[in-house]
Amino acid sequence: MSEVTIYIDGQEYRVPANTNLVDVAKFYADNDIPVFCYHPKMAPVGMCRMCLVKMGSVEKNRETGEVVTDENGNPKIRWFPKLQTACTQTVYDGLAIITNSEEVQVARDDIIEFILTSHPLDCPICDKGGECPLQNLTMRHGPGQSVFYYEDKMHLDKHVPLGELIYLDRERCIQCARCTRFCDELVGDDVLAFHERGRRLQIVTISDPPFDTKFSGNTTDICPVGALTTADFRFGARPWELKEVPSLDPYGPEGANISLSTRLDRDAGGRIVIKRVMPRQNEYVNEIWISDKTRFGHHHTRSDERLTKPLIRQNGQLAEASWEEAYQVITDRLRAAKSLGVIAGPNQSNEDLWELKQLASHVENHHLGVFPATMSGGDIVNTVGVGVGTNFLDLKKGDVIVVVASDLEEEAPIWYLRTKVARDRGVKLVLLNARPTKLSKYAKYNLTYAYGDAVSAINSLISAVIGAGKINDEILSRVDGYDELAKSVKKPAYTNFTEAAEAIGDAQNMIVLAGSEGLTLAQQRELMQACANLLIVTGHVGRPNNGLIPVWHGANIQGAYDLGFTAEATEAIYQESLDVVLVAGCNPVGEVVEAEALQNANFVVVTSLFETETTAIADVVLPRQSFAERDGTFTSGERRVQRFYTAQGVIGESLPDWRIFAEIHYRLGGPKPKLSAGAVMAEINKAVPSYAEMRYKKLAEMPRQFPDVGGEDLYYGGTAYQNRGGIGQQTPTVAEDPEARLSVRPVEAMTPKFDGLVVIPTTLLYDRGVLFRRSTLMHQRIPAPHIVINPEDAEAQGITDGDTVAIVVEGHRYEVQVKIDKTLPRGAVLMPRRLSNRPDPSVPTVLESIEKIVQPVPVTEG
Amino acid sequence: MLQDEKYQEQIQRIFAKYPDKRSAVMPLLYLAQEAYGWLPEEALDEVAELCDIDPTQVKSIAGFYTMYRETPKGKYWLQVCTDLPCALRGADQFYEELKAYLEVEEGGTTEDGLFTVEHVMCLAACDRAPMLQCNFHYMENLDMDKMRAWIEERRAEAREKEQKS
Repeated sequence: MSEVTIYIDGQEYRVPANTNLVDVAKFYADNDIPVFCYHPKMAPVGMCRMCLVKMGSVEKNRETGEVVTDENGNPKIRWFPKLQTACTQTVYDGLAIITNSEEVQVARDDIIEFILTSHPLDCPICDKGGECPLQNLTMRHGPGQSVFYYEDKMHLDKHVPLGELIYLDRERCIQCARCTRFCDELVGDDVLAFHERGRRLQIVTISDPPFDTKFSGNTTDICPVGALTTADFRFGARPWELKEVPSLDPYGPEGANISLSTRLDRDAGGRIVIKRVMPRQNEYVNEIWISDKTRFGHHHTRSDERLTKPLIRQNGQLAEASWEEAYQVITDRLRAAKSLGVIAGPNQSNEDLWELKQLASHVENHHLGVFPATMSGGDIVNTVGVGVGTNFLDLKKGDVIVVVASDLEEEAPIWYLRTKVARDRGVKLVLLNARPTKLSKYAKYNLTYAYGDAVSAINSLISAVIGAGKINDEILSRVDGYDELAKSVKKPAYTNFTEAAEAIGDAQNMIVLAGSEGLTLAQQRELMQACANLLIVTGHVGRPNNGLIPVWHGANIQGAYDLGFTAEATEAIYQESLDVVLVAGCNPVGEVVEAEALQNANFVVVTSLFETETTAIADVVLPRQSFAERDGTFTSGERRVQRFYTAQGVIGESLPDWRIFAEIHYRLGGPKPKLSAGAVMAEINKAVPSYAEMRYKKLAEMPRQFPDVGGEDLYYGGTAYQNRGGIGQQTPTVAEDPEARLSVRPVEAMTPKFDGLVVIPTTLLYDRGVLFRRSTLMHQRIPAPHIVINPEDAEAQGITDGDTVAIVVEGHRYEVQVKIDKTLPRGAVLMPRRLSNRPDPSVPTVLESIEKIVQPVPVTEG
Repeated sequence: MLQDEKYQEQIQRIFAKYPDKRSAVMPLLYLAQEAYGWLPEEALDEVAELCDIDPTQVKSIAGFYTMYRETPKGKYWLQVCTDLPCALRGADQFYEELKAYLEVEEGGTTEDGLFTVEHVMCLAACDRAPMLQCNFHYMENLDMDKMRAWIEERRAEAREKEQKS
């Protein structure tokens, strides 16, 4: 990056070109230019005028280009006649500003005085008080007396609900438009807007449901006053009482960095509890954004329904027992176990998984499965995953992001947001799916295939790339199997992919996000290989900002694959009747129909936070700890290994999973349990090559991040932004080793032929999963159990929008509502997972019957 | 209401003028206002759907401009100019008398829902004052006699219409 010289208050600085003056002054000169409307993540608008500075340019000799100096040897500066807004200025060579003159101070004082004419200054009852940019700047610049009449203050509505999650206090709003611009420019959900004008300007939303975006909580973070507050944290605590604990999103594959704001709480019996979840800045992962699921989905950690003691089944009933008794029962049984199936849940940490694997190795015939078993190919990710140092923010004009078989907004909202913003910067978005998703309107190329046919689509893309002569010849010297691959794609199923193929061939960088919608596990694995083929032959592997990102349905599925757990093994566990099954932190029996087979196991051990359908069939249930009560590491879909830290007190006698497994293993003759998760990781460092460098100390390293958001100055909204937990570290891929051979192989489409309607399971962000449904605040956003169907198919079945129908899939009957979607292809019936308390079909399955349920007309008493 | 057959041609004509749908928001809002008499939320929703944007954005536009009505108003929206040149020709007197005759306050609507009266800034017809704007059409060189006659005509019309239905 080229550098330029600028002068701030007479001091010379070398800074990167094309950066914003406010960001640069903060980062390089430690000079906080106050702002309200400006935010480093959004385009400047210069509305609030708070950032006025004296600005000028260094005089240069026009012939020689040399800087003209005065008699003291200092550069001569030509000052502009009036103060200028710093936020709208990009740095250039010779830019000079003065921020500490009386003129500038007076201007800032005046702006604050003016802003306060329509702000109630009700800080004592305001949630923002203590971390409020307006409060802080008022302390510094606010006038003791005002020339304006106090009676003229603008008074507007307080406590206006913008939906059930966010409250608006209209009179606190200082009209900076950060929230509307965030929704409009960044997310693309333009559901917030200004209404009226002048001093009466107010924020409104009339979308349905109100404030209809999955990122609404972020507006409360960036609000520079207390106008927007969350229903979750409203009147919950004062910011100075809160202790920030770095943590990770326990739900999604993106590895979003969060900060748990905790304090001792009387209402929770004097325990330390989470009062709110805030984003934590990690420019590589989530910048400073989190989805509402991450933000409002933490209530399971202190739910009253949490399991507090081990339970052992006696005479058919689960009864409380001590840990020692439980260990005794389990070890006795495991000693005699003929076979063992292990199913690891989506947010088992790497340490849990490692100890679980050690324990499982005690039984010779064992399977290491992962749940949900919707996707495969973690090993492929370790070969051609995104290179170390990948950052969506580095993708530039002409680069390409491919999304295949995934509804990214529902499955990985942070990647959705970053993809959408990258597209705004000029990145070309290639979308392959069987149906339009929310991302479709941003895609340069919307390539549609028939459900189940994702592999043919990728094959066709490869065929078109070859046809356009865009194969990367350089890389072919280290690729095995190219000729067979080229031969296998000679007859593409889809012939209209040429333009997209050219864009892919011409791209400097390309990231492929691969999902699993409408695919069986075997097909999905082939899709991962097909994506790898595409990436390899176009040379988009082994470098930063290139490679494959799997859209896992869980926080640490990648870690599970890295440590030897697979979805295929889970299928095997369902199919083979095994002697002993150990389910770690998930609820397969309640979520997928195949898991019913677990009932046939002779002995079932479950670690769980809550009573579930799976604990109902268990012989021993062990209370595990949630992510908030312990530490550990998750590996994101970008293979970034990141730490989360202990935030709140232990509930009951619960233990972290790794500890539970280590204790059992110890009693079976294994080594003494480690004393900390860090010690377990040290063992992983030694045993797993790709994790050799993933030492706790290294994962906690915290380089300075640009732009500097957060910290003590609070201009951007809170200390929570500040990352004190480290930005983590990516595991290297095979492709990054220039000596490593890469292999491509032909993949078969395996498209099944279905007659009639096919139920396609889909994943929604808000569901009734075991953890998320404890956040009652979010219940209004969780849809009722429903199917989505094409209007023509619906007509043929004699059903209409809003009907309640009974459908039968593989002998299971479900009562669901009907939603009509004309964009859906014919023959497909979408059935989102985990909306009811019944296990769902996990793979595309033929719909056996569909029948309208006529509600009996209630008899009115006459 | 904008889905009604009779508006389709007008809507197409409006869309034809602009490079993208979004740009047609303002004329469509006027059309909706004509259809509904004001802009209830369902009108905003309809315009939003036509323009393929969120209803919130439509509301924002309707809120910014003063000539969109966001609250129900009378069938006849009388905006009387009372700026200085008009006042010199008796417009302020006229305005007071008009309110008294209709028995409404500033900005109020008559009980029969026919008339809303408010005063506005210059409408650029000073030489023909007293004048007012009725649903964006000018009525000029007014006096109370003329006004009373016009009001009673409108009321008679309304009564007739009511009897018919």
